[in-house]
Formats: sequence, C-alpha cells, structure tokens
Amino acid sequence: MNEKLRQWLEGCALAPGLLGGGVRLPDGNIVGHSFNENCPLDRFEEILRCLVDSQPAFSNHGLKPRWLTWIFEKTQIRLAQRADGLLLGLALQSNSPAADNLDLLTEEFLNLDLTH
Amino acid sequence: MKVAATGRKTQFEKVTTPAKQLQILIVDDETTFLETVRALFTAWSKNNWNIVSANSADQALEILKTHQFDLIVVDVNMPVLDGIQFLRILDRRFPDVKKAAITGYASEEKRSACLANGAELFIEKPRSAEGLKSIFVMLEELVTWKQQAGFQGMLRQVGLQDVIQMECLGRNSSILEIRNRQLTGRIYIEDGRIIHADAGDVKGEPAFQKLLSLHGGSFQLLHFEPPNEHSIEGQWEFLLMEAARVRDETAGESPATEPEAEPEFSARALPPDMTASENSVRLAETLIGGSQGRILYEWQCADATARVALLTEIERLAARIGRVLPLGKFDRLEIQLPAGRAVAQFKLNRMVFVQVLTEGGNP
Repeated sequence: MNEKLRQWLEGCALAPGLLGGGVRLPDGNIVGHSFNENCPLDRFEEILRCLVDSQPAFSNHGLKPRWLTWIFEKTQIRLAQRADGLLLGLALQSNSPAADNLDLLTEEFLNLDLTH
Repeated sequence: MKVAATGRKTQFEKVTTPAKQLQILIVDDETTFLETVRALFTAWSKNNWNIVSANSADQALEILKTHQFDLIVVDVNMPVLDGIQFLRILDRRFPDVKKAAITGYASEEKRSACLANGAELFIEKPRSAEGLKSIFVMLEELVTWKQQAGFQGMLRQVGLQDVIQMECLGRNSSILEIRNRQLTGRIYIEDGRIIHADAGDVKGEPAFQKLLSLHGGSFQLLHFEPPNEHSIEGQWEFLLMEAARVRDETAGESPATEPEAEPEFSARALPPDMTASENSVRLAETLIGGSQGRILYEWQCADATARVALLTEIERLAARIGRVLPLGKFDRLEIQLPAGRAVAQFKLNRMVFVQVLTEGGNP
C-alpha cells in the first residue's frame, strides 16, 4: 500500500466517530483498519468486500456514483472510488464529528496525490 | 375479489370486477387507430371491456349524456377541441371517471398539461402491436385500481406521505396545500426540510400531525413562497413516522365522523416544473415502489422495472451487511453523482427513488 495513502487512512482515525476505514487496492486486495472495538476488522472487511462487489450494479443501471453513503439507524458507510481504481470504505457513527466531516474526508481521498 | 395492499394501513386496494363489464370510451379522430384498438382491447380483455369510440370531443360529449364509463381515453391532438381542453371539461363534469391521455407526439408540456387537467396516465401512441399490448396493460391497471376513502392526490395509490417524502428526499422547495370540507392547511418544505405547517388556528408540529391525520380531502403542490414564520425544526423522517403513528392510532375511530372527500379535484399530478427548486437543481426521476416490487408511481424513469430491480438489490445488500455488524435499521442509500445526487429510501413498506440533477447535468 502506498505510504501516503496509509498515513492518510491512519489520520482518519482522528475524526471522532469513525469506526473503521479501508481501501480496496487496484489488485483487488482490501487493506482495512478498525478504529473501534465495536467494528472488528474482519467484519468491517467483510462488509467492504460485499459493498465493493456491488459497485458494478450501479453502473449497470446507468448511475456513475462519485460516492455512496449507506445510512443505517446508528451507522453510515461511505464508499468512494477514484479514477485510478482505489476504493475507500469508511464506517462511522451517525451524528458524530466524523459524519459532519465525511464529505471533506471523501474529497481529500479522491484528490489525494499518490504519485510522490 | 379484493386484493388488499400489504403493509401499513393503506388508503387503496386493488379491485377486480369479473362480473361487471368495464365501460371504456376512446376518443380519437384517427378512425383506423380506433378500429385497431377496439378489436385488440376487446380480445385482450376477453370481452370484459365494452369499448365505445368517438371521433371527436363533441361526439364523445353526446355519448356521455346517456352512458356511464369507467375509463375515458382521450387523444391529445384532436381538431377543434383538443384533448387537453376536453380533459378539463371531463374533469369538471366527470371527476370520478378515470382518464388517460394518448398522443402520437409526446412532449413534457403536453404531459404536464394533461396530468394537471385530470388525466391519470399520459401515454405515447405505440407503433406496434406489442406497444398496444403495453398500453392495454397500463389502462387495465388504471381502471382496476379503486381509490378508497383518502386523499385525492397525484397518481393512483400514492398518498400524502409519499409526496412529502419525495419532496424532502429531492431537497425540493414547495408548499403542499391540503384541504377538505372542514379544514385547509399548508405544509411548507424548503430545500427538503419541513419548516412550517398551519391548519386553521393550529401551527407547527400539531398542525402537521393534524393534516396528516385527515382521512379525506385533496392536496396540491404549489410553488414555494417563504412562510411568515418557521414553526417546525424536526427531521422530516421523524415527523412522518410520528404522523404514521398518530394516523394508525386514530384509524380505528368511526369513519362516520370523518369528513367526506371534496367533490372537486385539485391538481392531482405533480407537475415537473413545480419540483424544480430555484438553485438550478431539477428533479430528473422519481419512483415509488410498494411491497413485492410493485410500482406505485414513476415519473421519467427510463426503465422503471430496472429501477425497482436496483432498489430491491440495494435493500437485499443492506440486509446482508446488517447481518455482519449491528448497524441498526437500514434507512437509505445516498448516491452522489457527478452532476447531482440520487436517494433510495426504504421505510413503511415503501421504496422511494429520487434523482435530482444540477442544471444541464447527466446522471
């Protein structure tokens, strides 16, 4: 995993309310981090894998999402895909600072310069 | 046989009447089209449809003096008195008869005009027998849906709550005017937030709950104008859920005490131009689905069946990931698009899909 991307992902943990974060790399591997004991890494990665697999369904229906937000009663899951194929997944508590800054975090990921 | 709609207490139910022959009037100046349709629809309905045809609006009015119909199908492009004018007359004289508009040259203006003047379906004339079969199926669906005591609003079985939900999900700004014989009230929605309601002397949330607890009347969407005050701050989802709870609690009360529905129709369609907010965002597509993938209402869906399939897939996926972690009840999926956004929401046995685009944007 790109060092800059790893640092950025770990930095996400600073946002209160973030439960887990992960990236699906272009080779198909998923690298995840759990930031909360209520969101075990294996479970989070399973969810991420499941959502990643569902991505083509949207383009098959004529939708080209910049990002998706799955909103549950207590939790939100954000999925965003970059042009280079990197795909970000974030799980966070609703009504938390992380939720308030979710669009900002996503834009950061989408515009992250990983060439250096 | 009655097939009650599933889910929460619903205002509508599907009724089929095998014993009674349905009376259908088709008004079109194209004799060949009339003859074809008459032959095919009679056969497809297995003689359950008695089709009467008229070549002009005035001939149809003559027939209507002596015959009662369940459905009137009107060609939009007729000489002398065109279909839109004719629909307006029909809607005043025969508000309870279902009406459909058909045209060889569809446009958004015609569609809006037809729906605003009482048509419940707007159909483009097909160029093949298969297309005619689709039209027959749509008309049959329309004519066999019977509106129960409840609100006359929009299309078929879509209710007041659905309209509010669509307006909020689409982050639209509008005023929903609700009236029956005893009460008139307004709900103000600004950028998808319910900001004010008044009903007689009552304001705020009590007014909102009162309006949504009414069991009869009519409603229409008006262009947004700021209210004199903001009396509601709660999230629309909770307001609607509370309204559903109140409505369920009062549902057992005697219907005899309920006011009768207004005899006159209000504008029943949701005119697309009224859904466009002022910040150059336009509603691009709307779909409301019921249980088992039934389409209750759709507007500008290129392929409504495919949309329902996508919604079903989203719901299935949400259930699947909800089993991996305790995420709580699934509410909605928000889809950020390059030039707009879409929302798919699931609650109360309804799935709602709304897509809004910034001006000039494509999905």
